[in-house]
Formats: sequence, structure tokens, C-alpha cells
Amino acid sequence: MFIEDIKNDFYNVLLGNRVLLLVHYDVDAICTCKILQSLFKCDNVSYTLVPVGGIAELRQAYDENNEEIKYVVLVNCGGTIDLVDILQPEEDVVFFVLDAHKPTDVCNVYSDGQVRLVYKDDEENIPNFDDIFRDDEDEENEESESGREGLEAMVERRRERRAWEERRNTLMFNYTQFSYYGKPSACVAVELAWRVSRCGWAAVWAGAVAAAAQAALHTRAPAAALLDADHLTRHLPPEHTHTGSRVSLEKDVNLPLYRRWSLEAALRHSPALAPALRLHTVAGQTRLRQLLADTGIPLQQARQAYRSMDVELRRSLLTALQSAAPKHKLPDPTHTTFLLHRVHSPTLAATDIVYAIMGLIEHETLPRAEGFQHALAALDTEAGDNDSRRLGCASAQRALEAAARLAHATLSARQLHLAGPFSYFIVQEGTAEASLVRGPLWLGVAARWLAAGGAAVLGSAPGPPGSCLLLGVPPRYQHETRNLFGAAFEQAATKCGASVSLDYLDSSVITLPTAQRAQFLDALTALLA
Amino acid sequence: MFAEKVIELLKEAERNPVTIDPFNDDKIRQIVEEMHSLFRMNMNDANATMENKTLWTTVQVRHSALERNKRCLLAYLYSRMAKIKTLRWEFGAILPPDVRELLSDDEYEWFSKYSTNLASYMRSLGQDIGYNGIDLTENLKPPKSLYIEVLCMADYGKLELEDGDVILLKKNSRHFLPTSECQTLIRQGILKQIT
Repeated sequence: MFIEDIKNDFYNVLLGNRVLLLVHYDVDAICTCKILQSLFKCDNVSYTLVPVGGIAELRQAYDENNEEIKYVVLVNCGGTIDLVDILQPEEDVVFFVLDAHKPTDVCNVYSDGQVRLVYKDDEENIPNFDDIFRDDEDEENEESESGREGLEAMVERRRERRAWEERRNTLMFNYTQFSYYGKPSACVAVELAWRVSRCGWAAVWAGAVAAAAQAALHTRAPAAALLDADHLTRHLPPEHTHTGSRVSLEKDVNLPLYRRWSLEAALRHSPALAPALRLHTVAGQTRLRQLLADTGIPLQQARQAYRSMDVELRRSLLTALQSAAPKHKLPDPTHTTFLLHRVHSPTLAATDIVYAIMGLIEHETLPRAEGFQHALAALDTEAGDNDSRRLGCASAQRALEAAARLAHATLSARQLHLAGPFSYFIVQEGTAEASLVRGPLWLGVAARWLAAGGAAVLGSAPGPPGSCLLLGVPPRYQHETRNLFGAAFEQAATKCGASVSLDYLDSSVITLPTAQRAQFLDALTALLA
Repeated sequence: MFAEKVIELLKEAERNPVTIDPFNDDKIRQIVEEMHSLFRMNMNDANATMENKTLWTTVQVRHSALERNKRCLLAYLYSRMAKIKTLRWEFGAILPPDVRELLSDDEYEWFSKYSTNLASYMRSLGQDIGYNGIDLTENLKPPKSLYIEVLCMADYGKLELEDGDVILLKKNSRHFLPTSECQTLIRQGILKQIT
């Protein structure tokens, strides 16, 4: 069931009740959580917040915390699975689902008030109720009729039923064929904050980071991402005279974390530009130096920390890169992003925070749950630098370096195997990169790096002992964000009988025993060929 | 001079406007004695003055000294009473032994009565709207917020709140709870307040 009015049917229902908040480990969910927390704080809604990583964790978290809880808010989890079936809740428990993962499970859509979906995406083509659900009552009175006419009627009914089932299967296949992401949940949360008149800079900033995450991770088509940003700019509050911080939408260089790095390092590790430079070759290194020469930035300047670079060079960086890029057949080195301007503190770019949060929730040593707490702190808008953000940025830089090293090593050793309709690469266990690139987020960055040519790429990283993680990036991921691998993985698993665990909420990520990986990939090749 | 002692007593009490001093039994007894002697002398003289009106002035001076002593003693007791009243709000119904020693027996009796009265008043509060009384001594200043955000630092297990809700405190889960419920757990290091 979809909610009509986000304020009256969702937020006002929660007021005065204890709420269980289950939040997925991803950037968008953390931003949403930040906004909801601040709203709950204002209205004294007492809540319990538990981060969840997959379906099994979701079930565990619900079972542990469901005592006396009547309202559960799920952020970026639970929309794509049949909640009632999986969690087996009491009759009077209500689930509010705010999930950017699509397609939404039809049982949730047509739930009778127990599962309430907070936001209805118009892009989704949800099949009609009558087309997929049907009462089986008529089968019972089949026996009662007799004679020739009764028989004919029965045959007629059966044929009708078969045709209906066929149509239902086609419809459901078309509906669940691709997994993709809808509007960021944080944008919906900003909308909510605006409706209840509590839309401050912090809320807009969290929304901006979520929007930047979808753009940076290519989970949303560029056009749609631009529309989300447009919605956000409409909710920008008037200038804050008190703290002086403000959010603005500006054109910025598309380099990750360059404000904390050196320009050369940022260029080398930028997931948007570096793949086109082909840095694993000798020519690539020359190309990078040539590019820097064309922008008129001396190597010495480019190699030192960006914040100590010459002011003139910093000012002209955007235009210089923009004019030099086409010469080297690079994609557009600029993008439109949200910036947080603070008094007496350096400007923050939303994209940098995205990487910092990724670095925190997939930190090489920090447990994920602790990283989650740091990630919430990294979203603070107060002046000055905070430890969590510093920790996240440092980790993100290491992870980006590892992803780049991994991509270069894979390419130069020709380890990107072509298997029919897709290519795949395997992160070897025990390498330095494996400790950093082991979660779906950074593995995704590495896989997209290798898929920059436009082919579909599967990446596999070692997971817990004996098993590995498999992740699929669709072909032409920059333009078409719908991912076919979710459904394909599921089918291939049933075909080859591998004991695949589909625990991740993003269906294009699975874990399977390492021993069965080759067999599974064969089955997948056969399926997609 | 008349009423010298009582002024001393008041000055002593005034030196310490916030905390309470030990009940000055000795001095009070001296003052009361002084009052008794004044009264006796007045009685004698008053009986004698029937004939001799020259003593009238003396009697009047003594009488005003007597009244002054009485007023000052009452002021002393009253200021102590106000302090004892605040003791109830600061320490609760049971006084620590070192504070208890500072009170006289009568004062302690008054304290107990005040305490009982206050408790029964607090119990009666809000019964019409379904509360079983409100502890007025809990927040003497209006709290900035009733709830605080806490992060759970260790696996603690289940915690039952005052309103009957049960929550599970597990490591790295965040909760938004009534301030009064968390304070002991924060002191134990199980919860950490997030500002």
C-alpha cells in the first residue's frame, strides 16, 4: 500500500510512539537516517536504531527488537522482499518502507495496510492487482456441476486460467527482470522535513550527499539525478545568518577528495576520469603528464597537497581542465554537485562525503556497525573538521588507491576474462587490495573502473573464509542503470544448483562458495548467451 | 547589654547564607535565660511600680529588649526552616548522617512531616490524566530535552523502561530514550551520550 500524504499518513502516525528504525548500510540510507533522527529528536519520538546489512540481519534485528514495538521504519531495506512473509510480524505491527531499491515486491505494494510504502515512484510499472492475484474459489465448486455443459464450462475455465497464468508470468518477469534504484530515500526525507517545516541546512546537506552518492555510484541515470538535485534546490532554506553555513549547487571538478589530496593523486584515482587515461600503460603515464602540462599546472604544484597549491592555479583549475580534457578524449571533467560552505572552515563537497562514508562502512579494520556510527557523525555540518570525517576520507583514499591498483593490475596482467556476454575479474585472496576491496561498495568502484569501456563486468572478491562475493555491473552503466544481473544470478543459481546466498538487498550482489564459482560463471554464461 | 547574644547568633547564621550550620543550642539557651531574667526583673519592678512610677521607663526598656530577643530568635528559626526545606529538595526524603547531625530534634521532626506532605502531594499529581504522580524533585530546572540520543557500547541485554516498554541494548545500536532512564547506564559506561 502506498501512502498518500507523507505528513499525515506517515510522520503524524509515528508521533508519540516508540519506533524501530532499521537502516541499511549504504550512503543514501545513512543520510535518510540522519534526517529522520533530527525530526524525531524535535518531536521527542523515542526510537531504536539498528543498522542492517542484509535480509538475515534484518530478520535478526526485527526479532530482537520487536517487543512492544508497533511501528517499524525501514530505510533502504525491505521494499524488495515480502516483509510479512519473511518477518512474520504480529497483526498490529505496521511497517513503513522507504526504499530506493526497485522493483518493489508486489506483496508489499498490495499489502492491506500492514506494509506501507512511503514514496511512490512514477517510473515503476507495477502490474495491476487483478493481473497477478486471483481468487481460487471457483475451483472448489467444480465438482458440483455435472453433465456435458458443466464439463465444457470447466474446460473453458481451465483454459482461461492457463492463459491468465501465462500472462501473469510474463508480467512478473518483465517487472522483476531488472533491479535498479529509484529516487534517493534522503530526498523523500527532505521532502518530509519540508512538509513538517523543519527543513534546515543539515537536512538539505544530507539529501545532497545522498543525491551525490547515486550520481557517483552510477545507481541512477544522469538525467534523473539532475531532477533530484533540482528538487533539493527548491527546498534550500534562506541563508543561515547564525552559523553562516549554506549549501549551494555548483559546477565542480569531478575528482574524488581532491580538496584533501594532491591534484595528481586525485586525477590518478578518479573513477570518472582515470579509466580513460589508461594509466596501467606507459603511454597512460605520459598522457597524464601531458594533460597536466596542457592545464598549465607544473608537476611540482600538482604533486603537493591541493590546499597548498598556488591560489591562481586553484582558481583556474576548472576551466583549464575543461579545455584540456577533450584533447585527450576524456569525458567531461566537471559535474554539478552540492557544496557546503562554512565560515572559517574549508568547503565540503557532497561527493567527498560520499566517499568518506563509503570508506567508513567498508573500512579495512573498523567493524561495519562502528563505521556506521562514524558515518552519521561525518554528516554533521558544524564548522571545523571532525574525527569521523577525517577517518573516512583517509580510508576512502586508501580504498580508491587499492581499487585503482587492482584495476591496473587486472588490465596489465590480462586478468579480465571474457566469458561470452560479460567479462569477469577475481580479486585474489591474500593480496593487499583484498583487505580493502572486499565489500560491495568498493568492489563496485573497481568493477565500474574496468567496465568503463561499456561492457558488462562481474567482479569477485574474497569474502568470509571459503566463500566469495560476486557483483555485476550492467553494460553501459553510465547511461543505463538497470541491472540485469540480479535476476540472472537467481536463475543461474537454480540452474547449476550452487548454494548461492541472496542475502544482499541489492540483488546484483551475491555470495557463494569459492569452490562453486567457476561452475556458477559457466551457468551464467550459458544463460546470458 | 540586652539582646547582644541574639545579634551574635543572627550574624553567625548570616555568615553562611547557603548551607546550614549546626543548631546553636548553647547560645539559644543563654538567650532564653536572658529573657527569663529580664522577665523576672520586670515582674518584680512592675509589682513595685504600683507606688513608684519612676521605674516605668526601666520596665519598658526591658520589655522591648525581651520582644526584640523573641523576634530575632523567630527569625533565626525561620531562616533555618527555609534551609531545611531546600534540603528536602536537594537530598530527598533521607538525609545523610552528617547533615542530620546539624538539625535539632524538633527541626528533624518538622523535616519528616514536610517530607511526608510533599511525597503525598507528588503522588496525587496528575492522577486525572493517568499518571501515578510526578517526581517534582527530578528536574528542578526545566530540562533542555526530555530525551537524549545514546549509543550502546556493550551488549547489555534487555532494559525495561518505566512505561513498560522493553528495549534490547546491543552493541552499536542507537536509542533515543528518556534522560532519566539512561543516566545510571551512562555512568556505568554501557551507554554513551551523543551530542
